[in-house]
Amino acid sequence: MEEERRIRQHPILGVQNEGKKVVTFTYDGKPVQGYEGEPVAAALKANGVQIHRYTAKQHKPRGIFCAIGRCTDCVMVVDGKPNIRTCMTPLKEGMDVRTQYGVSDRPFEEQEAKDHEM
Amino acid sequence: MANDRSRDIGPFTEQPDDDMIICRCEEVTKGEIRRAVHEGMYTIPEIRRYLRCGMGLCQGQTCAKLVKGIVARELKVSPAELTPATSRAPMRPMEMHILAKEEEDGTI
Amino acid sequence: MKCNRYDLLVVGAGPAGLSAAIEAASHGLSVVVFDENARPGGQLFKQIHKFFGSKEHRAKIRGFRIGQQLLAEADEKGVQVVLNATVIGLYQDRELVVRIGDAIHHVKGDAILIATGASENMVTFPGWTLPGVMGAGAAQTMMNLYGVKPGKKVLMLGSGNVGLVVSFQLLQAGCEVVALVDAAPKIGGYGVHAAKVARCGVPFFLSHTIKKAEGDDHVTGVTIAQVDEHFQFIEGTEKHFDVDTICVAVGLSPMSQLLKMAGCEMEDNPKRGGQVPICDDHGRTSIPGIFVAGDVSGIEEASSAMIEGRMAGTAISEYLGYLDHEAEETEMDTLDHDLAGLRQGMFAPANRGKKITETEEGIPISTNLLTKGFVSDEEIERFPGVTHSKGIHPVMECTQNIPCNPCQDACMQHCIKIGDHITALPAVNPDSTCIGCGMCVASCPGQAIFLVNEDVGDGSAEVTIPYEFLPLPEKGTKGIALGRSGQKVCEAEVVGVRTAKAFDETHLLTMRVPKEYAGRARFFRRAEV
Repeated sequence: MEEERRIRQHPILGVQNEGKKVVTFTYDGKPVQGYEGEPVAAALKANGVQIHRYTAKQHKPRGIFCAIGRCTDCVMVVDGKPNIRTCMTPLKEGMDVRTQYGVSDRPFEEQEAKDHEM
Repeated sequence: MANDRSRDIGPFTEQPDDDMIICRCEEVTKGEIRRAVHEGMYTIPEIRRYLRCGMGLCQGQTCAKLVKGIVARELKVSPAELTPATSRAPMRPMEMHILAKEEEDGTI
Repeated sequence: MKCNRYDLLVVGAGPAGLSAAIEAASHGLSVVVFDENARPGGQLFKQIHKFFGSKEHRAKIRGFRIGQQLLAEADEKGVQVVLNATVIGLYQDRELVVRIGDAIHHVKGDAILIATGASENMVTFPGWTLPGVMGAGAAQTMMNLYGVKPGKKVLMLGSGNVGLVVSFQLLQAGCEVVALVDAAPKIGGYGVHAAKVARCGVPFFLSHTIKKAEGDDHVTGVTIAQVDEHFQFIEGTEKHFDVDTICVAVGLSPMSQLLKMAGCEMEDNPKRGGQVPICDDHGRTSIPGIFVAGDVSGIEEASSAMIEGRMAGTAISEYLGYLDHEAEETEMDTLDHDLAGLRQGMFAPANRGKKITETEEGIPISTNLLTKGFVSDEEIERFPGVTHSKGIHPVMECTQNIPCNPCQDACMQHCIKIGDHITALPAVNPDSTCIGCGMCVASCPGQAIFLVNEDVGDGSAEVTIPYEFLPLPEKGTKGIALGRSGQKVCEAEVVGVRTAKAFDETHLLTMRVPKEYAGRARFFRRAEV
């Protein structure tokens, strides 16, 4: 895990995430690590991931915005399901987390190519 | 007053920040909202149905106040005069299969 | 479908909801609290600073500890708190529809309390949808709940208490805060909150706002510019900062949709933060049996939300016959008094928008504090907490009338006098002798009290400051003393570090400086190694 983005010892709150189990999950197919039970968004942030999705119309990047499940900007494709609020979803071992393009985990070019075939 | 359709609100004039995204979920711009007012959409429910702003995943949590401000300025009224959108269940995004599944025994 | 019934259903396990639940349960009501989050406490667990107020407002206790206290009390009183429970509708005859897990539950309450709190407001600027632009609350959630830094270099937009407090917390988490920016010409939050950020070296830019957030895929920089009195940019005033994060703290709006759905009479009240239910002083809405407390009925603070919660809990107990009218009135009198205590001073709801030029004592306010975030060296001398005497003595740089008095109780020697009027500025009692215990320094929620010995005999002075950062300097650490402005004033050496349970994680750092800087040295930074 990217240590520099984690707060190990906090001046008021003390040691952070002490004794929590480290789990491995995949981000766009690449194995990364986080703490079991922390929001997926926190684990991604600790790994330096900023972009959670690209919007449907303008294909613009979005990331964490409210972090409490209200704004839905941080949604991603988790275990095959799109529109999952990563700030509210606890991390589990083996989770498959993917960047969301529109409502799909396939980049727009791929989606367009497929549309063309049909 | 806000809903008085006989009032002259003047012509639509372009502004430099018309391409600014206001509704983040449905990607509706300030220009689209302003234009909608001039096309006769004077109330928040009308604007919502016309443009889908505030109708996306977050249900207007972020943009409701911003949209209200823009519409009010265009109508030259106070934002307080505009009735907010109707509140409806479900208050949070939810999958249909959950909404359809009623707990039988009533225990929490 | 089966529908269970309870005396009271509470929506929202924040300070208001929990306080109401505790109050009602203590009168014998069966209470269930629903909260959509995985953890209870609302925003309390993100509040790592000490709260203002007096003893009855749980002053000088850190927010997250108050959260722990409330949860323990709720548990003790038999309140059932259901988490991950999203209330999705409020229907006729007080029926709540709640999503718990993958199913929908119907529950009836003889009374319902809506304590759903507030959501963050936003402003738009080019680039505001880029990853890296986030609510100040989001940053707080990441660092204080999950131990993840929101970014390395942060710009804060908004100088209300949220912007000020979160800026300080970002520094505590080890982030760099490059600037604190507000379009308003004056700082919105408490001066003491601003001062503790300013003395760490964070520059304040009032009458400035964000012109654009820069970056293709995520924030890499930000440009701010000055605005005129009509909030229009003044050309040529642009300033650029390299940042990876922009935090937005521009106010809160009540989350009152459930009340509107239930048919409660609503109003758009800008003084309360937006759409709020019409209710009486104790949280009764226009619909009998539906009550409100906390930010959902008007944006205030956690301290007032807790009292409002207790008021609603008391009103509900009377409404359902668990408390007779007389007992209710007695209890309400105390609570009314406590709430009135919090709603006093320069920042009281009644004073919102008013231009204040003098303190209650008739002292001209510090204008530098309102625009730069710190009281200037010249201004500070006119306040009653700042005196000069032989030997160690407290210096209280508390210059605004706010409802807060823990310092008075902290001093066993009675060196500090506020009196019965809670918003009075603390004054030094000339008849008492300071023993340098430091309790006042640690107890001040605004970190505005210092112990100063202006001349220790060898040409130097000793200044004791509150310190809440890591790594904690050790005795003998050399560095520089910063002034109120965050600028270097002189060389300094740490000659003492005190830590005590009673200080609650606020360390007392004593630094030695040349005696001519006794009145200016207010923060310590270790020498770059």
